[in-house]
Amino acid sequence: MENEITIRMVDVAKSFGETKALRKCDFEAHAGEVHAIVGENGSGKSTMAKIMSGVLHPDAGKVTILGEQITSPVDAKRVGLATIFQEVLVAEEASVFDNLFVGRDGIFRSEGNTGDRWREAETILARLVGKPVDLNEVVGCLPLSIKQWIVIARAILRSPKVLILDESSAALDLDSTIRLHEEIDRMRASGATILIVTHRIAELVRIADRATILRDGVTVGVLEKHEITEANLLAMMTPSDRRASEAKDYASKGRDGAGAILTARNLATHRTAAAFDFDLPQGAIVGVAGLDGQGQDAFVRAVAGIAQPFGGDVQVRSADTGKMTSVGTLDEAARAGISYVSGDRKREGIFPQQSIFENLAIGVYRKNLGPLGVIRKPSLKPMFKREVDRLRIKIGSPSNKITSLSGGNQQKVLIGRAFANDPQVIVLNDPARGVDLGTKRDLYRELRIFADKGGSVIYLSSEIEEFIGFADRVDVFFAGRLFRSLSGRDIAEEPILAAMFGQSRNTSVEFDLERTA
Amino acid sequence: MPSNAIRQLARDRSLFVPAGLFIVLLAAVATRGHGLFTMNGIAGAILVATPLILTALAITPIVMAGRGAVDLSVGPLMGFINVTLITWLVGHGVTNPVAVIGWAIGLGAAFQLIQALVIIYVRVVPIIVTLSGFLVLSGINLMVMSRPGGVAPDWMLSWGAGTSVFSPVLFLLLTAYVIWAGLRRTMFYRNLRMTGSDERMAYTSGVPVDTVRIIAHVVGGAFTGLAALSYTALISSGDPTQGSTYTLQAVTALVLGGASLSGGRGGALGSTLGAINMFLISYLLSTFNFGTVSGFVTQMAFGLILVGSLLVNVFVISRRAAA
Amino acid sequence: MVSTVMKTDTGVTMRSNPLRTYKGISIGFGLLACLLVLGALLVPGFVSSQNARSILLLAAFLGLASIGQTLCALVGALDLSIPYIIGGANILLPSLMVAGLPAPVAMVLVLLLGALVGATNGALSFKLQGQALIMSLGVGFAAVGAVQIYTSLGSQFGGTVFAPVPEWLRNISAFNGKFFGLPIPPVIIIWAVVAIALGWLMHNTWFGRSIYAIGGSRTAAARLGISEFKVWTVIHSVSGAMSAITGMLLLGFSGGGFVGVGDPYLFTTVAAVVIGGTSLLGGAGGYGATVLGVLVLTVLTSLLVGLGLSFPAQQAVVGLLIVPMVAIYARSPHIRNQI
Repeated sequence: MENEITIRMVDVAKSFGETKALRKCDFEAHAGEVHAIVGENGSGKSTMAKIMSGVLHPDAGKVTILGEQITSPVDAKRVGLATIFQEVLVAEEASVFDNLFVGRDGIFRSEGNTGDRWREAETILARLVGKPVDLNEVVGCLPLSIKQWIVIARAILRSPKVLILDESSAALDLDSTIRLHEEIDRMRASGATILIVTHRIAELVRIADRATILRDGVTVGVLEKHEITEANLLAMMTPSDRRASEAKDYASKGRDGAGAILTARNLATHRTAAAFDFDLPQGAIVGVAGLDGQGQDAFVRAVAGIAQPFGGDVQVRSADTGKMTSVGTLDEAARAGISYVSGDRKREGIFPQQSIFENLAIGVYRKNLGPLGVIRKPSLKPMFKREVDRLRIKIGSPSNKITSLSGGNQQKVLIGRAFANDPQVIVLNDPARGVDLGTKRDLYRELRIFADKGGSVIYLSSEIEEFIGFADRVDVFFAGRLFRSLSGRDIAEEPILAAMFGQSRNTSVEFDLERTA
Repeated sequence: MPSNAIRQLARDRSLFVPAGLFIVLLAAVATRGHGLFTMNGIAGAILVATPLILTALAITPIVMAGRGAVDLSVGPLMGFINVTLITWLVGHGVTNPVAVIGWAIGLGAAFQLIQALVIIYVRVVPIIVTLSGFLVLSGINLMVMSRPGGVAPDWMLSWGAGTSVFSPVLFLLLTAYVIWAGLRRTMFYRNLRMTGSDERMAYTSGVPVDTVRIIAHVVGGAFTGLAALSYTALISSGDPTQGSTYTLQAVTALVLGGASLSGGRGGALGSTLGAINMFLISYLLSTFNFGTVSGFVTQMAFGLILVGSLLVNVFVISRRAAA
Repeated sequence: MVSTVMKTDTGVTMRSNPLRTYKGISIGFGLLACLLVLGALLVPGFVSSQNARSILLLAAFLGLASIGQTLCALVGALDLSIPYIIGGANILLPSLMVAGLPAPVAMVLVLLLGALVGATNGALSFKLQGQALIMSLGVGFAAVGAVQIYTSLGSQFGGTVFAPVPEWLRNISAFNGKFFGLPIPPVIIIWAVVAIALGWLMHNTWFGRSIYAIGGSRTAAARLGISEFKVWTVIHSVSGAMSAITGMLLLGFSGGGFVGVGDPYLFTTVAAVVIGGTSLLGGAGGYGATVLGVLVLTVLTSLLVGLGLSFPAQQAVVGLLIVPMVAIYARSPHIRNQI
């Protein structure tokens, strides 16, 4: 039973039009193991997960799940496979209970007892969320973090023999990830096969028994537990021509003496949150961190003029007059030279039907208008080329649709859009989420150059490792306010973690990797 | 059942508006005279309102299935069943009740099945498919019967008398409710709501979304068949021209009833209240003497009611979501 | 939305296949060519300057009426008030002239009213987004009811108004109208000029690009400082104004006001937009596509008339063709490709 093979993929290929997502994919997973699937963006991980879930059909090759070939999610359900996809899929108008048990029954007939289901759901959800949740609550009223748990609990409640998590923990904070891992441990102990498709190398080092690495749609290797290190993983994931270079080791420069280009006074992110002050020195890269929902997202949006803070006032030094002017609306922020880049590119970033050129240049259309509001497009072409070269965005023709680019390259276009405005301050809201390593490095490099030339950066990230060697200062949010500012040697995993948990400076967080359920 | 309805009313705030409007309208009608509140008045009301209610009920499960599937074809479909009944069946001497009723329900279900299959397999946006259905049937209706005429089967002629509250027309309405109530007790209703609310979620969770959609359409088609029977009883003849009017009224009733036009939310109670409210509004307007402009006043009133109900719906919804 | 991931760092540049980009337009032209050939073969007199003139004339009216529908479709809405405003304008103009207003003044007034009704439409329907088309139905219904009440005051006929139509208006819209001596009804020229100007504006002005931005991603557009509400309202106002203009021009065509004159335009404008390839979900397409759709639709209608089909039969045929035509341009991806 221990080594029974539950999933087998042989020679699988899958293309979308001209794009070959999978070329030659071979894969095997056993019962009772946690198996990670790792690779850069565009390597085919998600496609693999979707094929295994019955959502997509392979063009070639054979896929067997628990001895059967499945062709639809209905088949997958029958066989005992459950998948948690990257996107949080919930019915907003329905109750938590309905959302948890969607699809569990036949078209007309119910397959389970409501009372039993209720009890089971309450238990599991309370365990995952960390506190009891009212199953009658309408999901639309709940915060995103609970919705994520609902999606995860939905799969777990099926007691699946195979559980696939497709980047599902990408948006979870530290605490939640620990609870999720505990649940995964539980399932592994009972003989289930758990597949984790992930970018988070640190996470899978902790929990995976084996890891399969994908590159360019081909499985390039399988690592056993003792072989799973960041070095090995990176070595297998990146093609040889990129391995040599770029250490992620930009020395953080001292920024003494530089005046503040942006200040916030008495800022409150929420009705019950304490007010705080914030200063952004010119030429600095300030990281913003915090556990989920601690106010950092609201802060970053307030600073960018997108949302109103609950209280307080943001001021920016005007480029023309040198004096501090108040920034309260998006217009004022734009005029003051603040650009905003969101990591949620599907929702607040790209225009999917428009060209790459338009997606990048649209940020500066308004500054390049002639009579009647005509846009001077020819004058924007040099700017476009400059940004594409600088950010190393790989495009075919500028008039291609933006959806022809990979996720990482799309993100680069959005960053190019922000840069094109020649801003004083760039505010980035988790831009590297779900983005491959190569793109991340290009991004850090460009932001560093921007800061060296006098620009200022506010960079929110949910991954602590991003700040190290990159940020001059890290502001950690806790309980809705700026809790602690860390600089110099304090920009390291332990101090940042401690601050995220609201710990006082002198205690270090016991990060217990071996914690059992 | 009544206590269930009250409990549902209390929990589902989107029913506040149609329920409130219903009470207001009843009160307003009462102030204009007692005509409606007699046996004859109610019987007549049932006769006129039933096609309205049934068409609103017919498009309810279809819109609940999601993808913005507002079924514009419902009015002309009812007309199509009506004129073919009169011309092809009665006109050729087929008046057997079983044949007639079977034809009505079967034709409605068959047409909606075709629409569902086109929506599922051709994957064109549903509102365009139903728009196409609207156009095609409107044209065909006039080709089958170029102007109102014909005679209903003789056993139906007494249905339109409007003398008794417990007429066969009421029975048609009750049949629809019985079917709906039956469906509600099964998991189908929940599957329908989930499919309409987020089809991707339902699909990946193993809900057979295509089958759910087909059943929703077929049920709607069957209800349209019932509507056509009640309409034939009402006018005792065939009329190929009223299709667009009924579509407009059915959609208004749907909105008035609080259904979400993008799917997931809706129900028989809301749509019924919406349709009854539409009926009460036209009844109310008919009690005033507007003379030659009375038709225009009704038209303007329907437009304003629709606008108002949509606005209220939006603000009730957005307040509820923010809560 | 299908997101294709392209592996481009292997050094291969992906050039967009020009044929694929212009698939919509080439199909449209292909369809048009097919219909013209069919017409030439099956209907005597189909290929003649007379028939061309009559097709273009009807296309001009439909084309002008479809401007608003196209703009609305680009942001994901539909304007169902178009037929009512056309009909309302058609009876309001003669009614005002009968009341004593000079024709130009009356026309400006009707135009402004049309724009106002459109703006109301836009302002009220903005919050509804997906349900906006129902709102436009209600507003249109109410507006035309109000107009008919006005035109009925003191007269027996509310739905038809008889008034002397100015000669120059007749000339613009009539079949034998003359444009500086050429046998081309001026309304066709008007349409052509408007179409070219509109296409250019949509592509090259900030407002035009804002429309596409909103249709593509509302939130992203908001981040750029685009006022969605303003754009939405202006679009609907333009639609109302164009509908009023169409209604007034139709007066020159038919000679007498009739409120039902707008009825066919409800679905023909949607059909023209759809056949032209503008996605009803927003963000893709444009007026150029609609012009093609209008031509296809009017040629098709002419063909069917030539074949002897009655109006109801024509309607049925157009109805049957909508789905296949949309299926060519705008099939939604299977749900499995939307995960």
